[in-house]
Amino acid sequence: MQATVLHNVSSSATPLPRFTSLGLVYGCLLVTLLAAMVLSVMVGYRIYSLQQAAAALFAFDGSEAATVIASLRLPRAVIAPLVGAGLAIAGVQVQTLARNRIASPDTLGLNAGASLAVVVASAVFGVGSLIGLSLTAALGALVTSLVVFAVAAGAGGLSPIRIVLIGVTIAGLGQSIVQIILTNNEAQLQNLLFWLAGSFVDRPMTLAISGGPFIVFGAALALLLARPLDAMQADDETASGLGVPVTLVRVGCFVSISLLTGASVAMAGPVSFVGLVVPHAARRLVGLRHGRQIVAAALIGAIYATLADVAARFVIFPLEAPVGAITAVLGGIVLVVLLRRRAA
Amino acid sequence: MTDRTALAIDTLTLGYGNTTILDTLSLTIPRGKITVLAGPNGCGKSTLLRAIRRLHKPSAGRILLETTDISKLGERMLARQIGLLAQSPSAPEDMTVEELVRLGRYPHQSMLQPWSPDDTRALETAMAGTSVAHLRERHLGSLSGGQLQRVWIAMVLAQETEVVCLDEPVNHLDMSHQLDCLDLVRQLNSQFGRTIVLVLHDLNLAARYADQLVFLRDGAVAASGRPEELMTEGLIARVFDVDAMIITDPAYGRPLCIPLRTR
Amino acid sequence: MSGLTSTLSGARAPLALAILACIGVVLALSGVAFGSSWIPLEQVASVIMGAGEKTQKLIVLQLRLPRVVIAALAGGGMAVAGFLLQKITRNALASPGVLGVIDGAALGVVIFLAALSNESNALVTSIAYQPLAAMVGAVLGIALVFMLSGQQSASAVRLLLFGIAIAAVFKALVMVMMLIGPIYRTSQAARWIAGAVNEINWSEIHITLLMLLPLLVLAVLAARKMPPAELDEVSARSIGLNLPVFRVLIFALAAGLTAVSVAFVGGVGFIGLMAPHLARLVAGRNIYAGLVGSFLLGAIMLIGADLIVRVLFSPVEVPAGTVTAVIGAPYFLFLLMSRQRHDG
Repeated sequence: MQATVLHNVSSSATPLPRFTSLGLVYGCLLVTLLAAMVLSVMVGYRIYSLQQAAAALFAFDGSEAATVIASLRLPRAVIAPLVGAGLAIAGVQVQTLARNRIASPDTLGLNAGASLAVVVASAVFGVGSLIGLSLTAALGALVTSLVVFAVAAGAGGLSPIRIVLIGVTIAGLGQSIVQIILTNNEAQLQNLLFWLAGSFVDRPMTLAISGGPFIVFGAALALLLARPLDAMQADDETASGLGVPVTLVRVGCFVSISLLTGASVAMAGPVSFVGLVVPHAARRLVGLRHGRQIVAAALIGAIYATLADVAARFVIFPLEAPVGAITAVLGGIVLVVLLRRRAA
Repeated sequence: MTDRTALAIDTLTLGYGNTTILDTLSLTIPRGKITVLAGPNGCGKSTLLRAIRRLHKPSAGRILLETTDISKLGERMLARQIGLLAQSPSAPEDMTVEELVRLGRYPHQSMLQPWSPDDTRALETAMAGTSVAHLRERHLGSLSGGQLQRVWIAMVLAQETEVVCLDEPVNHLDMSHQLDCLDLVRQLNSQFGRTIVLVLHDLNLAARYADQLVFLRDGAVAASGRPEELMTEGLIARVFDVDAMIITDPAYGRPLCIPLRTR
Repeated sequence: MSGLTSTLSGARAPLALAILACIGVVLALSGVAFGSSWIPLEQVASVIMGAGEKTQKLIVLQLRLPRVVIAALAGGGMAVAGFLLQKITRNALASPGVLGVIDGAALGVVIFLAALSNESNALVTSIAYQPLAAMVGAVLGIALVFMLSGQQSASAVRLLLFGIAIAAVFKALVMVMMLIGPIYRTSQAARWIAGAVNEINWSEIHITLLMLLPLLVLAVLAARKMPPAELDEVSARSIGLNLPVFRVLIFALAAGLTAVSVAFVGGVGFIGLMAPHLARLVAGRNIYAGLVGSFLLGAIMLIGADLIVRVLFSPVEVPAGTVTAVIGAPYFLFLLMSRQRHDG
């Protein structure tokens, strides 16, 4: 509703009817997302028709096509957007908190921290339950975020570049420890390697059901913090001057980021750079206010992950590439472009 | 305490660890006037400004806003009473002018009332009053230093606080933008009736714009009063360790300090 | 006074280097002695001299000695590459690992193995070309980093960011190559990426030695021009050194050294970062002392890391690279924290 009020008064300066355009943006994104999800159900090693897809969902007849669609295609069409949205919202918050446009759950090492937690929990402590793994991953992300920000603070403030170097190094450290654990566990390696690359293949629907609530809760928390996050875009002193309880907001964001990243990693493994790329697109579309930015990023992230997942089925056809490899290549390219533009 | 007093600072002591920055400092800030804090580096003037906005917690003493101790106020209530423009504020380069000025309305909003016509009015008034309305869609990164400072002042103006604190607002500006910025501050005072507390390094600018001038040294008030009373050769020697000559500037009749040598 | 210190350090360097060499020899001998069966040092020595019984000869000469020798060569090579990079970028944070060199080499190797293998996983060409492939990949990696960073390459920290971006892309491509190529023997490929010195044979050592020696000679020759190269471009030119050209040569040399070093053992991280630092601490600022000290320390570190994994994780073969990463990552963070004022 904010936009209508604004439109009424400031129409002279902004001829664009803002509410309509915002609604239009959301609407288009939503339609695109639905189309991407339908595409994700239909295409792959075998291509099914819309009728077959609809039949499998609404009138299950036990045919091979229906079984493949319901047990293999549908879960990934649901998990991919959940993960994409989760990582994108986490990315928006990380970029604002670090005041750094090349920060993301990946470059801060949160994905690696969550992965490490999951590998330790499953390989060393034998944790098997999906909720348990999601919680562990969230905890891993939370601890990592605290370590990165603490080290950065010790290194003389949150200079954008330094915080990324620290995050990447901690990510490397986490990956090495994962490697040590996995080489001691040959049996686990086969299972975990594809997961560690980030992928939506062979994920049961129960994973979406156990991970989904974490994403929803994390997203709700992020939306709740949207207004103080607006003020946090300015420096700490200005934000405090505006009456923002800076530390409290940070803590809330860390919790939200950890839930989102943790659940995403538990569901799909570390899908790289979604949280880096998507917020940029969201800001271009709807500007810097977090109420809008978060909604737009969630939608764009969901679309991005779903389409990347569809692409993963074809880039090395007939084999399937890990979707994390695709987002890593795209994300790396975007990172180079951002660096060249001196966005950070 | 009279109704001519906006802020009363009462035996304030403040420090980090073992170092004392402000030592039993007392001062009154008159309502609707421009008070300029000046003094040598490390005298505690920025710290005092931050203490007024409760960004530092004093170890002793209190600050009264009207008759309320500011330590008793909630974050948001305080932010509706006292605004602060930080010494080097920062915001993302791709933020628009309007998005930044809107932030000033943060303390006036709540979960239940995200944006009201009042907020719109304040936003528009602030942008018009600082002549940045035509820049509203521009990104901060595309503005000049002078324009940017105006936008920041617009943000503090939109906050609609009784007291506005500015920490060295003209630090990185050239001569014309210094005057431009301080004229704008004076306009906040005269046109919008705000009480202004200003930290300035340049004594001559301080003398030109201050209603009340305060000299700080070693965490205490060395002297306070009208610029004409304070700008004396003896006082400047005592506070700044500089031998100076004071003349009356021929254009505005304000005292003008010509530094001669360090003592 | 300055004359006195310089003579002192001049006297210190040879002594320090001699001590380092002794440590290296002792570590190497213990590297041969340790393993599933303990072989006393005097027997190790006698086998190397040509005596000893048959089984011991087999274990020492075919299994353990190659491992120690390749560790020394690879560690030393990477350390010298790191030394050159740190000197030429005038930045202590530069190392082969973060400039896209190692990931470039990894990509070169997996493409080589994938493209030139037949149906039954056998190479259709000689393994002798593998270092060449690694070198092409490494040079490509570092060239890409410099090309993309353009003007910004003057700032070492920004250069590192570009390296991170390129490395991420290469890593993803390596993963995809591992999936599509016949080298999809995951655990083995993963071990190569992590960096392991086991399963090395003498022909691979001969290849490494043959390519490493000329590069090391070039490094010593280039060292003469290093002190003027530490100046800025204009000052260097004014005393007759074309810095941009020299810089490119050094980068190519460092890339070559790294590529040859990692060609058979895989991406051992952080040695190229740590060894040159410690060399400066131990042997002082003299350029030749630094060069030799780096080589010795790099060799010591990789032999030591290999020894550690064999003692700690036996009988499982954990890649030595994980140890260097677990030690190296905190070291890098420490450097970042202590250098806060210098770069930004």
